[in-house]
Amino acid sequence: MLNKPIISVKGLNKLFYNPDKSSKIDAVKNVSVDIFQGEVVVVIGPSGAGKSTFLRCLNGLEDFDTGNIIIDNIPLNHHNKNRLEIRKEVGMVFQSFNLFPHMTVGKNINLAVRRVRKKSVAECDKITVDLLDKVGIIDKIDNYPGQLSGGQQQRVAIARALAMNPKVMLFDEATSALDPEMISEVLEVMKNLAKDGMTMVVVTHEMGFAREAGSRILFMDNGEIVEDSKVEDFFLNPVEDRSKAFLSKVL
Amino acid sequence: MIMIIVRKEVFIDSIKYILFLSIIILVLTVSSANMNYNWQWYRVPGYIISFSSDGSIEPGRLIQGLGITVKISVISLFLAFFVGMITALFRLSTSITAKIVSRVYLELIRNTPLLIQLFFIYFVVSPVVNITPFVTAILVLSLFEGAYASEIIRGGINAIPKGQWESSYSLGLSSLDTYRYIILPQTFKQILPPLTGQAVSLIKDSALVSTIAIFDLTMAGQAIISETFLTFEIWFTVAVIYLIMTVSISSFVHYLEKRNSYAQ
Repeated sequence: MLNKPIISVKGLNKLFYNPDKSSKIDAVKNVSVDIFQGEVVVVIGPSGAGKSTFLRCLNGLEDFDTGNIIIDNIPLNHHNKNRLEIRKEVGMVFQSFNLFPHMTVGKNINLAVRRVRKKSVAECDKITVDLLDKVGIIDKIDNYPGQLSGGQQQRVAIARALAMNPKVMLFDEATSALDPEMISEVLEVMKNLAKDGMTMVVVTHEMGFAREAGSRILFMDNGEIVEDSKVEDFFLNPVEDRSKAFLSKVL
Repeated sequence: MIMIIVRKEVFIDSIKYILFLSIIILVLTVSSANMNYNWQWYRVPGYIISFSSDGSIEPGRLIQGLGITVKISVISLFLAFFVGMITALFRLSTSITAKIVSRVYLELIRNTPLLIQLFFIYFVVSPVVNITPFVTAILVLSLFEGAYASEIIRGGINAIPKGQWESSYSLGLSSLDTYRYIILPQTFKQILPPLTGQAVSLIKDSALVSTIAIFDLTMAGQAIISETFLTFEIWFTVAVIYLIMTVSISSFVHYLEKRNSYAQ
């Protein structure tokens, strides 16, 4: 059981066509990777490397052309039912928060728990309060997203994804849209999550987070995984030339 | 200094307003004098409220017509919204058949005159399927206004940011739940003003049903005029009644909008 990956990706390919269909770009090229329970996988690389596209393929927000994705023993394919099952187990946090502006913070968090997990109102309320407590904004439960700062909104978005009690959390540049002084409050929540043993796949430009909370680095460039190594190895002894070049620029 | 400027502006505005009013009154008096028209406004109230022989108050013929207009408009309004919703969802769906059906309906309705649609259904279709003029009127108005409503609804749905769909899907919500809880509630807030405009159009367009022997407000007005020759008094009264209806709808929706606004 310990050796069974929770996310298994084999030979994943995804093409983006130019609008006039004259040419195509490999957004994700022949990506194979196994991710195990409790791992915090940080995906880094230059912009346009396919990191976000790869991440969005994992919960079916983006269709892929060839390859296999199996998450929690469920194959991600054209069956809508499988897709919904996988999304129940995979939480996602977006760069632009994407909270529902017409609902209070509390409703944002427990809508999916009510509708998808079919929990009772009392259970939902408890989950909502516990999670808001965890991300440190319990006093905002009745506010609307528009009344919150960016950092607070992103923490609500994390709580919303966690409410489904997912087995995996995906973070798509969760701090890129934040003002500098708010980045740390969100990173703190993510670090605590990692400490609690959550399996995470994190696309980020925050090298500090990668070093501190990450357990494994996937370095992507031009749609491929160039280097897949432990965090310590990657930062101390990068193997590939492209990784070295990238690190010399960002560190 | 600022006070003086403000007072000066108010003063100039008042002058403009008074000037504008005087011109209108002048034009009206001059033209009605030239018309040699014998204004008999005192006869109009009898067509709004009448007193029966035993002294109880009864609605006049104009108000009876108004009742029919309101009935047709309200029913058509609900049906038009329903038709518009279905058409919008059909157009946004992935099914080719649904797309073609909704597109053909839309183009057919939007590119032909309402009056001809009304005659077509009244003279050609309704004898075959045997429906009353009242039902015909509601059918035609709902289909006509529904086509326009569908474009408003579709535009509103398309204006919702892609991220709202994505975050809803990523939480495991189905397409149906995403529409129901996330997309449509936000859409309605956006499209309420243009949809109200469409409701106002519907009320005004309902005047056309007088051509298929329905005693609505317009028809009642016409009938009274042909008996009494109070042409302008009755037409003005009819227009004011339409105005009262449409303005109250607009104000009510404006009030709703204000009450339901949330911080964006």
